[in-house]
Amino acid sequence: MNPRALLFILSLAITGAQAEERGGIFGTLKGWVGAIPGLGGKKSEETPQKIMTRIRVTPFTGGTGASAEAALRKELLASREFFVAGPDEKAEFTLGGSSSGGRVNGRLLDVKGKELFQRTYAAPGLDENLKAFADDVIFTITGRPGLATSRIVFVSDRSGRRQIYICNAEGGEVNQVTHDRHGAVSPTLSPDSSLVAFTGYSSGFPVVNLLDLHAGWERGVTDTPGTSFGAAFSPDGTHLAVVMSFIGNPEIFVSDLNTNTASCISDSIGAPASPSWHPEGKQIVFSNDDGSGPKLNIVEVPQKEGAPSRLFRWRTGYHFCTDPEWSPDGRQIAFTTRKSGEWAVAVKPYPNGGSRIIQGGGAQHPSWSPNGQFITYVQHGGLFVHDVRSGSRRQILKGYGRISEPRWMR
Amino acid sequence: MLDARSSIQHLASSILLLVLSSCSSLSFLTNPASEAVVYALGPREGHTSPLGADLKPACPALVFDGDGFKLSAAHEGAIRGVVTELGGNKKTRLLIAGYAQPDLPHDHARSLSERRAQAVRQRLIEFELDPSKIQTVGFGNDFSPSGPSSGVVVIYRQ
Repeated sequence: MNPRALLFILSLAITGAQAEERGGIFGTLKGWVGAIPGLGGKKSEETPQKIMTRIRVTPFTGGTGASAEAALRKELLASREFFVAGPDEKAEFTLGGSSSGGRVNGRLLDVKGKELFQRTYAAPGLDENLKAFADDVIFTITGRPGLATSRIVFVSDRSGRRQIYICNAEGGEVNQVTHDRHGAVSPTLSPDSSLVAFTGYSSGFPVVNLLDLHAGWERGVTDTPGTSFGAAFSPDGTHLAVVMSFIGNPEIFVSDLNTNTASCISDSIGAPASPSWHPEGKQIVFSNDDGSGPKLNIVEVPQKEGAPSRLFRWRTGYHFCTDPEWSPDGRQIAFTTRKSGEWAVAVKPYPNGGSRIIQGGGAQHPSWSPNGQFITYVQHGGLFVHDVRSGSRRQILKGYGRISEPRWMR
Repeated sequence: MLDARSSIQHLASSILLLVLSSCSSLSFLTNPASEAVVYALGPREGHTSPLGADLKPACPALVFDGDGFKLSAAHEGAIRGVVTELGGNKKTRLLIAGYAQPDLPHDHARSLSERRAQAVRQRLIEFELDPSKIQTVGFGNDFSPSGPSSGVVVIYRQ
């Protein structure tokens, strides 16, 4: 072996011991070495089988009480978070309330009968109110967001041009949200699902726009020369990571939505794309093609203007990796790769661990559900939801034109 | 004990890194950044999108095979042809539009097509065309170019 290369490897090994806490390439090496039995690696502990929380739904009073109770049971069963107990069975939590004219007053009690919350839901529709109630129950008990009120934004060409659409987690309540002259693509939702950021072609050139779903206003974020796309909201919704090329190269920028200022955080001589934020907002993963196929890179987001940021390659074991997205807990990254000549969706633990294909056969563009339990992706123009734990999946939207680029509200 | 071990490790790593810093011949430790000057794009005013108008290409489309964005000898020939045709008229406005294959992931296709367009722009600037008159756009696979190939860069005279 070349003695200089040997020196370099030795240096990595020693520095890696010191840099374990810093992660990155050194942390990866240490993690890889540490995972080998006999070299300090721990045997993985067996995960105890999850026992489902038992919950009881007591009869609702009021004119629409019976409908409310039935719809709530349906939402709770669909969430797969609880075992819904019968009237004579033991339960750790009890739900009850009343419903009149579609309004819902719901309350949640613990096993000792202590009230955990009581709220009134007064949206126009009974279903809407019960979805919100079910999500509040799920969040209070599990600490994870429910999916009943979550939204998936996607692109479809069903109108003849690519436009942005939005639907619920079951593929229902589909609405077209853009009507751009030449089309709109690359959508993403803000954390509270009130805003959609997308690339619009109404001027004939790609411009990233913000659309307020409630108020209806729309404004440009990146009316700069060149190309802009790949918008991704920061976890607090105040910043947008976006690819822009006005400086003579495509680069990743972070734009402050309050001040309309942007700073470049990547240093690429290639083709960067698809930025996705870590849930703590301190790092961004993106794909970058330096001429040998796109690979995943991670860059630290400077917390102060002008502060240095570290950028490093994150190895997945695959030569072609695009569309990365961090899981809501920050412990995994899903991405599109190529296997046997076809697109496939893969998941890899962060920072260390092996990649695994969760769906091949043309699946691409994964996006995590807000609770991290499911991934949505497209396969041959259809929209799918995939249970990451069980591996089961179902097509939630088909025959709706050719669907692409789904993003689940986070 | 741990402090002493940590100090020894730190010292050893410092010495090795010092030795390595003199190893400039190791290609994988050198900065890959190009020496070429990259010119930012000027204002887009005066440039027309091919989506809204029937623009004529200044030369046959530059076809890119595979996933790369480096210019080939064939691309060089086509670019030289455009420069020759423009003659002394270096102020002509050009729009360089990149398109990518339909089977590529969309976001990657947008970036790759823009990067290819930027590579062509950079070469035209090296032939002393005015950088402020040359715009780029990467359509990825959102729109199909006219012609049999889809992974192309088209130079439109404005």
